[in-house]
Amino acid sequence: GVAFGLYFPRKDYSENVYVDQPAGTPLLRIHALRDSHGEVAHFHLCQNLIISRARSHENNWFQIREKTGLLYLSKSLDREDFNMLSVGNWMPLSKVMLYVFLSSHPFQEKECDSATRATVFLSLINATAPACSSLTARQLCFTEMDLSFHIKENKPPGTFHQLQLPSVHHLCQNLSISYKLLAAEGMPFRYNENTTGVSVTQRLDREERERYELIAKCTVREGFREMQVEVPFLVNVLDEDDSPPFLPNGTDTADAVVEFNRKEGTVLATLTVYDADTTPIYPLESSRKKYTGTIITDDPWISETFRVEHIFDEIHFSPNGSQVRGTQHEYKLVLNKSISVTEHRSFQLDVLVNDTEFHGPERSVMLHFNVSILPVSIQFPNMTYQFTVNRNAERFAQIGKICIENCMKFRGVNISYKLQSHNTSCYAVGILQGREDKYGSLYVNDSSVLRRPECKEIQYAIQATDKQSRKHTKTLLTIVLEGTLLKKEEDCPDSCAVSKHHAECEECGGLGVLTGRCQWRQGSGKGITTNYSTCTPSIKTCPDGTCDVIESKDPAVCPQDCTSANIIGGHGKGTGNLGIRSGHGICYCFPRQNCYCEKDDIQEQLCDDVCKTVI
Amino acid sequence: LAGPPSPPGQDPHGWRVPVDCVRANELCAAEPSCSSRYRTLRQCLAGRNTMLANKECQVALEVLQESPLYDCRCKRGMKKELQCLQIYWSIHLGLTEGEEFYEASPYEPVTSRLTDIFRLASIFSGMDPATTSKSNHCLDAAKACNLNDNCKRLRSGYISTCSREISATEHCSRRKCHKALRQFFDRVPSEYTYRLLFCSCKDQACAERRRQTIVPSCSYEDKEKPNCLDLRKVCRTDHLCRSRLADFHANCQTSFQSPTSCPGGNYQACLGSYAGLIGFDMTPNYVDASPTSITISPWCSCKGSGNMEEECEKFLRDFTENPCLRNAIQAFGNGTDVNLSP
Repeated sequence: GVAFGLYFPRKDYSENVYVDQPAGTPLLRIHALRDSHGEVAHFHLCQNLIISRARSHENNWFQIREKTGLLYLSKSLDREDFNMLSVGNWMPLSKVMLYVFLSSHPFQEKECDSATRATVFLSLINATAPACSSLTARQLCFTEMDLSFHIKENKPPGTFHQLQLPSVHHLCQNLSISYKLLAAEGMPFRYNENTTGVSVTQRLDREERERYELIAKCTVREGFREMQVEVPFLVNVLDEDDSPPFLPNGTDTADAVVEFNRKEGTVLATLTVYDADTTPIYPLESSRKKYTGTIITDDPWISETFRVEHIFDEIHFSPNGSQVRGTQHEYKLVLNKSISVTEHRSFQLDVLVNDTEFHGPERSVMLHFNVSILPVSIQFPNMTYQFTVNRNAERFAQIGKICIENCMKFRGVNISYKLQSHNTSCYAVGILQGREDKYGSLYVNDSSVLRRPECKEIQYAIQATDKQSRKHTKTLLTIVLEGTLLKKEEDCPDSCAVSKHHAECEECGGLGVLTGRCQWRQGSGKGITTNYSTCTPSIKTCPDGTCDVIESKDPAVCPQDCTSANIIGGHGKGTGNLGIRSGHGICYCFPRQNCYCEKDDIQEQLCDDVCKTVI
Repeated sequence: LAGPPSPPGQDPHGWRVPVDCVRANELCAAEPSCSSRYRTLRQCLAGRNTMLANKECQVALEVLQESPLYDCRCKRGMKKELQCLQIYWSIHLGLTEGEEFYEASPYEPVTSRLTDIFRLASIFSGMDPATTSKSNHCLDAAKACNLNDNCKRLRSGYISTCSREISATEHCSRRKCHKALRQFFDRVPSEYTYRLLFCSCKDQACAERRRQTIVPSCSYEDKEKPNCLDLRKVCRTDHLCRSRLADFHANCQTSFQSPTSCPGGNYQACLGSYAGLIGFDMTPNYVDASPTSITISPWCSCKGSGNMEEECEKFLRDFTENPCLRNAIQAFGNGTDVNLSP
């Protein structure tokens, strides 16, 4: 194991100091535990008292016995000393702090710079020491601090605490105070009645048990009166790296296939390594360095194209009934850059996992990834595209989608679609593609062309190109125009979204309509809902919660998905603060201006008296 | 075994009363020896490890112990609060080495009491808070806030900021949400903010409203729960967060010497420093909508603590199992305060 040297079984100690307590008064006892047999502990004090953590003062009052760790008053603190040490203390209770250092050799230089230190908090109490009769049993038996200790695994046994409080023992010699350690049977701890010392009797193994909960019981006898106090006595076992990595079920191989998903950052496969030791996630970076995963290769292409990501997590296992913590390490094989669609190879990629702090022979395991990179073809499915478009369709009407084979599965492959027209006079359709979109969307680019009688069927060639490899493919697209021209209603707005009522909606057309008329979506009418009533060029695409590439060309097409202006009335905004995700009642919009969502309380009256008169 | 506490903020020994650090900095700048030592100290702190070992640095520190910079403090929500805290930590970082479990608070002690708030609260609500046992206190608190222009404006400000979706992957802007929450708790009087945060509940709907007060989906929850010690480290790199955390520890640390479990029996100070943590990395909140058993926690866990598990759990327990904080919240909810002389 790693040599830790001597160490303190707890970080902090505390005690009270009173005015005019005589020199020689013992205050508290500090213990050290050993790393190896034969080590002898030497204690010494930093010659600075830290006051309220910012101010310091030379220590003229406290000393420690170098061999036993007994901290005592070497000079009594008078009222003047108290006042001086209380200056700058904001807490109602004045506290001073002392550092105690530890070494296996007698101290030469009395410097305050060793890593192994414990902190002693002394509460300065501006009163003379209390009479023993005024102290409660709790105060006579234990300090305020928890009885909580940590003991390193795999270290020799030794005494780590003394239950008796030296200050109380000194002050209240007439009282009989005795202790017991409960639930200690079968546990590797022993209480010595003569010294009140508690010792650990054997080497501990954290992987077997990491926490011992005992009870310290104190009995105070004063004449015929007897008082008892019980407090928890906790021992935590500290971990060291004494377990090698191992593979769950012996699995050291995984398949990693690169096909449609070729994007940088894609996780191809994951292999898991277990370790019975704990791995702190704090600080994260140093733990990553302690447990490494390295790709073993001479091929520069492999080391550029792949990387290994290491994450780890705490897991629990129960070796013999009691639960202890261990670590699950995951090594993920990740694409370090996007791979071209033409790439085609197979190989085995080895990753060496190394538990650098473990000192046994089995400190490393080898993981194997069977990598297959398959090429993907850029081709249209075995057919030509044919779409019918109504002659009454308006600009930005969505006709359909163009997609090469498996296009929706692609990631990290950048395909662009282009239209090539033969008879340029009837060029009515355009194609658009979002930034991350894998397909092209066909839309009406020029509605006046649709109305021209000579244009009946329009032929296009579509070309799809992979940007990286310049590989491309072509197919044919036929647009058939159908339907007879409707007479255009007068006074109709540009945008379907302006219409507030069912009737006026379906009377008019607007940007983006497919058949010359807007469509009415009748909502459920319950509160603020995504299914609100609204007038739209096409129920299929608007509102659908996303402002797609065609809708975003003109704010009049589908403000329900695309507006960034104010929405008045009960509503919820859409993703990225765009559009109306949910609304109350009917939502209608004036493009480039506000949208309104409101309940239409006045039911559309069929025909009132005035109306009848007019008819 | 405690002696009688000395009154905070006064100077029983004729020592100067602490000034705020911005003022102390001005006083120091006017004095050549002080200002040059202060400059030296700041240079020492730039190379943190040499601080205690370097003689020149120690001399600078000793000289500055006599300057007003040494005892200076800051006020919550003061003008130039950040500047004040920067000055405070520029001196104090050198000695604490950043390793202390509890750090001293750079803020002045709170002397007001909960009763001051109750008095104000009953004036504006027109009723005794203790008698309105049937109603939903959290709803009442929201109503009371909406009737006050300032409270209403800053509350709707943070709510809309914290619930604004940025994109499909980014649920909200946490940074802006935190900033808006800090403004709310800094600028709205505590009789409004405490009523929202610490209202008492008898049913789940009320407790859920209480939990939702700070819009936890944006300001509190995150994809992953970091380790609490890691979160503390992140908090301590920021002067404001570090100060608010130190203030929370100073005012809400369980004290065995007080029947309330709070230092000096001061509930107001504990609640104030709790509210002061909202809008920082260490933002605390109710972990569930249980009406009666109150559990508070920052968004972190002690998973993966390794050998520091004990320390991590001790840190977390100051939120989750803190009798001072729990008593203070319950006392506020019940409209009771202990009448200890300050």
